[in-house]
Parts: sequence; structure tokens; C-alpha cells
Amino acid sequence: MSENTKFPVWARRIGRWLALAAAVALGLSPQTAVWFPSLSPHIALGGALAAKTASVVTLVGLPVLVLVLIWPRWFCHHACPTGFLQDLFSRRKAAEWRRWPPIGKWLLVITLGGAALGYPVFLWLDPLAIFNGFLNAAWHKPVTLAAGALLPVVLVFNFFLPKVWCQRICPLGAMQELLALARRHKRTPVPVPHQKRLARRAFIGVCAGAAGAVLVQKASGRTAPPLRPPGALPEADFTGACVRCGNCGAVCPSQVIHQDLKSVAGLLAPVLRYDKDYCRENCNRCGQACPSGAIARLPLAEKEARLIGVAKIDLDACALANGEECTACIRSCPFEALVVVENAEHTGSEPRLIQGRCNGCGACESVCPVWPKVAIRVAPLPGQS
Amino acid sequence: MINNISRRQLLRVLSVAGFGTVLAARTVADETGKKAAASPEGSGWASVRKPIPATPRDRYPATLVGGKVIQPERPLPVIQETDVLVVGGGPAGFAAAVSAARAGVKTMIVERYGYFGGLWTGGIVLIVLDTHINVKTDSTQVMRGIGGELLDRHWKIPGTIAYRPNTKHNPTTDPEATKYFMDEMIAESGATVLLHSWATDVVMDGNAVRGVVFESKAGRQAILAKVVVDATGDGDIFAAGGAEFEQWLHAIGLVHRRGNVDRADLGKLKMKSLGALEPLPSVNWVNLRGPMSDGLNVKELTRLEMEHRRSIWQATQKLRGTPGGENVFLLQTAPQLGVRVTRMLAGTHKLTGDEVRAGKKFSDIVGIGGGGKGWPIPYGTLLPKKLDGLLAAGRCISTDEKLIENMRLIAPCLVTGHAAGAAAAVAVQSKCQPRNVDIKKVQKLLKDQGAYLG
Amino acid sequence: MINNISRRELLRILSAAGFGTVFATRTVADEVGKKGVKSAPSGWESVRKPIPVTPRDRYPATIVGGKIIQPQRPLPVIAETDVLVVGGGCAGFAAAVSAARAGVKTTIVERYGYFGGLWSGGLVLVVISTHAREKDETIQVLRGIGGELLDRHKKVQNAITDSKYNPTTDPEATKYFMDEMITESGATVLLHSWASDVVMDGNAVCGVVFESKSGRQAILAKVIVDATGDGDIFAAAGAEFEQWLHAIGLVHRRGNVDRADMDKLKAAGIKSLGGGKEPVPSVRWINMRGPMGNALDVKELTRLEMEHRRTLWQGIQQVRKTPGGENVFLLQTAPQLGVRVSRVLAGTHKLTGDEARVGTKFPDTVGVGGAQTAKHVGWPIPYGALLPKKLDGLLAAGRCICVDEKLIEDMRLIAPCLTTGHAAGAAAAVAVQSKCRPRDVDIKKVQKLLKDQGAHLG
Repeated sequence: MSENTKFPVWARRIGRWLALAAAVALGLSPQTAVWFPSLSPHIALGGALAAKTASVVTLVGLPVLVLVLIWPRWFCHHACPTGFLQDLFSRRKAAEWRRWPPIGKWLLVITLGGAALGYPVFLWLDPLAIFNGFLNAAWHKPVTLAAGALLPVVLVFNFFLPKVWCQRICPLGAMQELLALARRHKRTPVPVPHQKRLARRAFIGVCAGAAGAVLVQKASGRTAPPLRPPGALPEADFTGACVRCGNCGAVCPSQVIHQDLKSVAGLLAPVLRYDKDYCRENCNRCGQACPSGAIARLPLAEKEARLIGVAKIDLDACALANGEECTACIRSCPFEALVVVENAEHTGSEPRLIQGRCNGCGACESVCPVWPKVAIRVAPLPGQS
Repeated sequence: MINNISRRQLLRVLSVAGFGTVLAARTVADETGKKAAASPEGSGWASVRKPIPATPRDRYPATLVGGKVIQPERPLPVIQETDVLVVGGGPAGFAAAVSAARAGVKTMIVERYGYFGGLWTGGIVLIVLDTHINVKTDSTQVMRGIGGELLDRHWKIPGTIAYRPNTKHNPTTDPEATKYFMDEMIAESGATVLLHSWATDVVMDGNAVRGVVFESKAGRQAILAKVVVDATGDGDIFAAGGAEFEQWLHAIGLVHRRGNVDRADLGKLKMKSLGALEPLPSVNWVNLRGPMSDGLNVKELTRLEMEHRRSIWQATQKLRGTPGGENVFLLQTAPQLGVRVTRMLAGTHKLTGDEVRAGKKFSDIVGIGGGGKGWPIPYGTLLPKKLDGLLAAGRCISTDEKLIENMRLIAPCLVTGHAAGAAAAVAVQSKCQPRNVDIKKVQKLLKDQGAYLG
Repeated sequence: MINNISRRELLRILSAAGFGTVFATRTVADEVGKKGVKSAPSGWESVRKPIPVTPRDRYPATIVGGKIIQPQRPLPVIAETDVLVVGGGCAGFAAAVSAARAGVKTTIVERYGYFGGLWSGGLVLVVISTHAREKDETIQVLRGIGGELLDRHKKVQNAITDSKYNPTTDPEATKYFMDEMITESGATVLLHSWASDVVMDGNAVCGVVFESKSGRQAILAKVIVDATGDGDIFAAAGAEFEQWLHAIGLVHRRGNVDRADMDKLKAAGIKSLGGGKEPVPSVRWINMRGPMGNALDVKELTRLEMEHRRTLWQGIQQVRKTPGGENVFLLQTAPQLGVRVSRVLAGTHKLTGDEARVGTKFPDTVGVGGAQTAKHVGWPIPYGALLPKKLDGLLAAGRCICVDEKLIEDMRLIAPCLTTGHAAGAAAAVAVQSKCRPRDVDIKKVQKLLKDQGAHLG
């Protein structure tokens, strides 16, 4: 922290404004939004660990990692847009934040422990993910409104309890402190009991995270997984790899990507809802915009062949099968996966799905006039979880 | 209006409609009819029947000439000259006639059967599909204007129209109410009506249709018009006028209605329903797909009519013979066979499913079809490539295969009918061919008449 | 941004290497699946299919010197038959079945899509004058084809009322049984076909021109039975006739009449829901007299159709608004307007009411009309009432045969129409078999054929 004094206050102010502007620019530009959240080493590391693979996007977090190794909490003081916004909107300068336990450290170890088993439990509390989610929500509503609500919540929290978030809760802040601790240990040996205590805490945290991850996955495994964007990792890996940045929803031209508010493991992760529109056959933007690799970046042809789910027809509800001249789903299908066939009694028509043609794009579901329970809906693939 | 009927008037109405009178009249026939032999002056029949001189009717019978049947050249009596002549009184023709007449041009509508509505009422295809777009989110009614007003009139009388449970789109109507409200709107619009008249040929003037020849109990007669709207569904008029078209086979069925469905025991019958819901209590309508066939081949129409009636009869008998279904009965088979698609005009613009999917915009949009996210209908789809003096409306306008199933539904037919009627009126008022109308004027008229153009 | 993929080629390759492997197997499987399916049918080919345009001769009318001239044209002959019956009402139906059963090639052309005419399509459901008094007992005079038709109804529940005479039928059952009997008889049927003109060969009718969705076509025949009700065919061929105005009404049916609260309705001044009981439960049919009109004037037909519909609509709305009548509804207005009488043939014998009242017998009796209340004697119908005075090649059947004013109300009923139709069909068959004009047939042969076919000749 002593580094702060090296700069005049006004210089630091200007620097922070510039950083905020840069964050807004990076987060809004579709070109950079992809890797913007990964600037946080917390996301880069947690995402890569959860997905058990590293991509170029992961590497984006490296420079910041090096910087914070040299100057602990450098990111907080000079770069973090979420932290700067809190400073701007805080009521008082000081508070009793020191009396709060180091929640962030626990969050971090639990997240990393969970990530090791595929589910980085609190990765979405990362300040860059929160900020990016807000940007997406503000500019691409209403798709990511739930994610966008986090930043205001944090700001209000900070207004009443200044600095508690940054110093005690933020997992990225905790990460920087742990890294600084590690560096200090090299220079000045820490008493063994303290080491043991630290190790024990880390172990408990990782175990808790792992147990949490297993529990969450088990809990969500019992219900059918929701529909994920095309090219999403298998459900268990996906809920881990996704950093809830909202990029996919923001770029979706048909706005079918919504926030998952129902499942535990996938809370705030993207789900597809086809009540208004469908996953366009000529688009692969969500994969292109995903910073963590949770949604694979697929060429158009490959994305088109990738199964999102498969359409299921409820003939009891279907208007055509009940004698009305409705062919809405059949005529909507871009892949001609739905055909009209004669019913068993030879009195009427009904729609039938040709297995293998349907990729679960939801065009049929989006136009089905039967309401409120549509007669054709895209169901997740069996065994997807 | 109905509220204002007095008790006495009601009794009068009831007795006019009443069987009692006729039974009475019949006993009179039996008893005083015999007496009338003695005193014919007081028979009372003078108000019921009267001999008149035979209505003059030109006779130009065909003759056998060298083994061939030759119909001789003949003049045709012209019974009317009008501005806009609408041929066919289905949803499209109805909307066209009301629109043109309201726009202030002299309008006439000719219908083969004795009522308006075509397959909607006479074919008992009671559900008005594709009235709305985006039905699950920001549901918007796109079938407005004349068609929307027609539905609104239904909504004012309970029991004449209903949505499926939990929905607010695609209503089902009572066919008798629909017939009546169509009568009402046509009569109010001031259009001249000829029912029971089958349009069979055209009067040509160079490359333009100038009139229509039709058969009725009054014989073969002609009507001249400045613009003819072909709302026959089968494109009979543009085909006779020599326009280019495609021809399709399509499934042809026959709808029927079942009565007393509320007295059936669905559990015993192991059926989930006995047909589609109607606004009328205790009645369901039952659609029939039928085999693919040529709706322009009268022998096919004959065969299918009889085959379908047999299968409906047998299915009903089987139902009535099954425990739980004893009380259900066959209420009515549709008076009109359910022909879905036959001729499709080759218009100056062929609207394709790909254009719709790509969300293409048209500067000459004259209506929006419902269902899903909707689809714009450009004026060019109503205009024959070369033939003048004519606009098509309804299921036979120029669309590609992917839109056939949309175009033939009731709501889009009401929309294109409205568009054709308005365009015909503007053409008459501008003294130009339909293909030369100022589309802005047509669009303004449509909007003034409540149509939805996006 | 998708356009810029090339700029991020490296990224794509790297990430594909990172994430792509997970999906390798599924992607391959998907693509195979898609390829295998490209050739699969779409389902629509069994529902719709484009075909080459059906060739159709075009001879449009043109304007020549201010007049509309329809040019001379040849007419395609789609069939040559022995007996051609025009009109599929009660009379036409019986004529076609009789002629076809007699073994001659028979074709029947009907304007609407079903048989029965005003009986089924006009919803005039009661078959009046089936019986008459003969030697102090009431006997059924409607036998033969018409009697058989009623008998078929009796075998099915709720198809016909079990009245001793003048039963009411379910119109859908009637349509179906007519279809059945016509089909079994082997007659060729053309529905949805409007006969509009005749083909003449000298003084004889030798064919009929009709309009349909297939265009204007002709059918040639040795004998034509005019069962149009309006005498359209004999009028087009130039036969002599009388023309009448008569009351024109529109029948309707009311549903759920058994779900009405009659006590409440009576209290509100509606004494009855009116109408005749039907064999079908909870439905009543309600006749309408209507004003006198000219059924050959299409403008009049149009006006009456719309006026009557308004009257019926207002009547039913009043019932539905009255406490107790809420459940009653307008089930159906008849698809056909109730035209009672228009043209009446000038035949070689004009059957008069005076002759009928006393049951005058004729040597050329071809059927017996019943009494409306079954208490009076029947009235034999002479063959001459079906024969035009001069025109050859044609027999009339049904309400337009040659009767005088006093008998018009009897002749237009369903039972006598079935009877005269049967007679005309049998006579036409005998004429074809004897290779002679209808007026030259041996009446004994006709009477024998009729009796063989079960008809009652008194």
C-alpha cells in the first residue's frame, strides 16, 4: 500500500478514471468483451480450472497476475472499475470494515476447491464479471437484467458499509492478498503454527468448495438440465466454466438467451427460452462472445449441426392433431425437421419430427400458438447432464 | 337493435319463423283446400302463390353438329355495370366488397352459395387462425380492418365467438353468427349482392377483364366492371381471363359437427375430446384431412364428397355404438367440401418463405399475415403478371410453396381481401389499372379503414 | 462481428483445440444424421403437389359494338349415357336409382354436394303424404325407391321418428342413405355441377350443358329426366310451362331445446320454442313461410336469403336473452333457400285437384300420391303429367310436373316427389331399352317395372 504515496492524488484519480473508461470501452466493444472479464486472474484461473483446459483467453489474465504479484492489490487501487465506482458513491471515508472476517478468502478457496471438481462456486462474484454483467444489462436489456442487478447491490451495500466489499468479500481482492502473503512468506518465514493454521484453513475451504460443488451438481443432476446455448460444454462443466458475464445474451440477435434463475449450479448462467424467438440458423455469436470457453466457438456449419436439444410434440395439446388447420411449427422449421403425416385413424394430420434433422433451435416452439403450455417444445438431450 | 324489439314484434318474429303457422297452413290446405274447389276466391292462397307470365329468357341451346356439341354465338344480357365486382363471398371476397363499398365506389359481390363466408361458414372451418403475432409475449392482432371489425361484432354477442382456454388469439366462431354479421356488414356498406350465382366466364376487352359471366336461376347473364376482384379461391376468374398460374393438388376433406358432446362419457369412450371446441354449448366441430386431390376436377370432388360422408357416417355410428357415446349425434356435414389449394396466381411478386424468414420489408405492403412473427404481404402478390382489370385475393394469391399453408387460412384471406378491395377502389377513383395505382393512396385508405400495416 | 472471424483465426484454432475435442464424437454423429436425412420426405408430398395446369378451353365473351357477345364454341362431352337425371333432390334421386337398377347406363348431376335437395339441404325434414286411405284402411302409398329409403332409416337409431305416417328424418342420415342407394345402384354421379343449358337435336333434348370447377362441359343422353324442381332443363329446351310466384322461406334448426327451461320461458311469454320434433335428440327444425317471391329472379333470392337470415337471427337472440332460453342456440340455417314452386310443366295430361280429390284412376297411372293427413284417398298420378306436350327426349319429375293450382301444394311435398321421380326413372329406362321416345313407351312395361321395383300403383 505504500506504493500509493508515490503518486500525487490527482494523478491517481486521472488514472482511475482512465481505467474506468477503458473498462467501459473494453466491455462494450464486441471485439474485446470476449476477453475483458478474463483480465481478472480470478476468472482466468477459476474458469480454466473448472473447464480443465486453458485457452488464449485464459492467458489474458497473466499480465495482471504478474502485476499483483509485484504490487499487492495493484488491481484494486488502479484498475478495478467496480471498486472505483464504490469509492465514488461511498458516503463515508472510513468504517469498521476491519471488524469483518475475511469472507473473500473463504469464497476464493471454496471457489477454487469447487473449480477443481468442475464447479467454481462463487466465480460470478468477481468484480469484473459483475461490472461486465452490468454493462451488458444496461446496453442489451432485458436479457441480462439479473446479472446487471449485482453491481447496484454491491454499490448500495458499500454505501452503508464502506470498504467491506473490497476489503473483506471480493474474491479477487482476497486472491491478491493471498498472493502477497505467499510472497512475504518467502522473505520472512512465518511461524509453523501459523503455517499449519493457514494450511488447515485452505484445506477446509477447498474441501467445503469441493463438497459444495458435488452437492450442487448432485442437486441439479436430479432435475433435467435447462437448454444451454449451442456449443455449450456438458452441463456439469458448463455451469463451472461459465463466468456469468452476460456476453452471450448481449450478442444474441434473437434475444433467446436469458439468465438461469431456476437451477442452483447454473444460477445466472445462460439458458435458452424460445417463447418469443429461436436460435437463428445463421448465427454463432454467443460462442464467439464467450470469454471462458463455456460455449465453444464453432464455425457456422458446425454450430448448425450441434444439438441444443430436441423438439418434443405433445399431440394432446397440438392444434393440428386436434383438427385445426394449424401448421405453424411445420412451416417455421429452418431444417424441415417437422413433417405433416396422416394420423392413425386417417382422419386428420399431425406433425411428426424427423430425428436427426432437429438441432433444437426452437423455431417451432417460438411459433406454436397453443398457450400457455405449448404443444411443441425443445427438450434437453437425454443424458446431457 | 335486438333489445328494442317489443314483445309483440317478438311474437310476430316467432310466428313468422314458427312451424305452427305452416302446420296450420297445411291443414288449411288439406281442409279448406278441398273446399276451395267450391269457392276459389276465398282460398287465401292468393297471398302465398300466384301465376305470372313466364320470365323471358333467351334460348341459345347447344346443338349437335357433325357429332360435335356446338354452343352458338350469343349476346349476353348485362344486368349491371359497376365499378368494382367481387367474385366469391368467402372471407376474402367479403372483406374486398366491404372495403371497396365503404371507399365510396359502386361495388357488387357475386356468391355461388346462399350465404357469405365460404369455407369459414359453409365449410365449417370455424377457427380463425393467424389473427395475431408474437402470441406468447407482446401479442399483437395483425388481422384488423374489415376482418377485425367482423370479429369485434361477434364479441358483442355472447356465445358467438370464443378463444381456446387461456388464449387470446385465434378465436372460433359460430358459423351462423358469422353468416349473419357478414350479411349485416355487406348490407351496411351498400354493396349490391347476388347470391346463388355461379361465375363461369369472363368478358374480355383486349388484355383486360371487363366483366364476368355467371349462371343463376335467372339464366346466363353478365356484369360489367372497371375492376374485378377474383376471390373465388380457385382463381376461376383469372384463369378464364388467361392469367398465368400454378396448379396444385392438396388434401381435400369434409368437416362435420357433433351434437350433445356434453352428454358423452369421455372416460368410458377413452377419448380426450370429441372434436374442436365451439362457442356453442354441446357442439364440437371435427376436421378431416382427406386425401390429396385435384379441387378442379369435378369427378374427384364428387368421389371425395361421397367417400367422406360415408366415413363420417360410419365413424359416428361407431361412436354411438360405443358405451359412453350413445347420446352423441352427427349434427351436420359441411355444405361445402373442404378444398384447400388449387390454382395459385403467378403475380408480379411471388412472396417466398425465404423472404419472410429473412424479414424482408416491402414498400408496397398492403397487409400482414399472422402467426409467429408475422409476414408482410406485398401488393405485387395480388397483381397478375400481365392481365389487367383484375386483382386476386384470398388463398390463390402469388406465394411460394412454403407460404401456401399460411395463405389459405381465414385471417390472411380477410387481410388480402381487404387489400384487394381497397386497391380496386383506388384504381377506380384514380381511373387507372390496378397495376398503376399509387400504392401510398391504397395504404392510406387501408389505414383509414383500420388495417394494420406494421 | 461475425465478419471478423478471419482476424481471430488464431483464437478460433486455439480454442477449438482446447474445447473442440470434447464434442468431436457428437459432431460427427450429428453430421452423419443430417446427411442421411436430407433425402427424407417432408410429409407435404402426401398433402400437396404441383401439377401441370389442367387444360381448359378459353372462349371468353368480348365486347362487340357495345354488346357482350359470347362466341360460338365447341363443348367438351365428358360422357354419353342412356339416362341423364338432372337434379339430385327427392325426385332425381329416385329416378336415378330406378333407371340404374333397371339396367340402363345412368348419370345424375347435382348442383350441391349432396342428395336430397330441399329435404336434406333445405331442412324440410318431414316426409308428408306417405300414406292414404284405401278401402277403410290407411296404407303406405310411398313405396318403391322412396319406401326403401325410409326403411333404411328405420334400421338405425335416431335416424327417423317412429310416427305411423309422415315421419321426420335426420337430414344427415338421409344424405347418407341416398349416397348409399345411388352408389349401390351403379349410377354415375356428378356433384357440385350446375346444369345450365341443353344440347338440342331437332325437337329433342339430347344432352345437358353444365358448369363445374372443371369448366363448361356437356353430357349426352338418350333420355333426360328434369328433376331440377324449377324445370330449368325443359325451359331451356323450349317446352311450354306455367310460372308461379310462391312463398319462399328459410328453414332453421335450434339446438339444446331440451336444455331450455320452458316454465321460465312461458312466464316470459314464449309459449313454445316452436318447430317439429326431430329424431335427433335436443334439436328442432323450424319452418318458415316467408313472402311470395319469384324463385327464378336471382335478385329476389338474394334479398330473401338475407332478410330471412336476419329474421332468424333476431328471433334466436330474443330467445337466448329470455330467462330459461339461454342454452338454446341457432344450430343451422338451411344451406338451401326454401323455394316451393316456380315453373310448372305443360304436360300431355294436366292432373287436376278435382281428379285427385276423388282418386280418379288412369290407365297410365305410374304412382299414387298420399294424403297429407292420411285420412283421405290417395291420388293416382298419370304418366302424361311427366311428359312435355311437344318436346322429346325429356321427362319431368318432382314438383314441376303438370298439375293444376289445386294440387300444387300436394305435388311439391317430399313423398309425391319420390314417387314421380321413381316413375320418371323407370319410364326413361323402358324408353332406352325399347329404343323409343318417352312418349312412345309401352306403359304396361313401365308399370311392370315399377311394380317389380316395389312401387304402389293403387
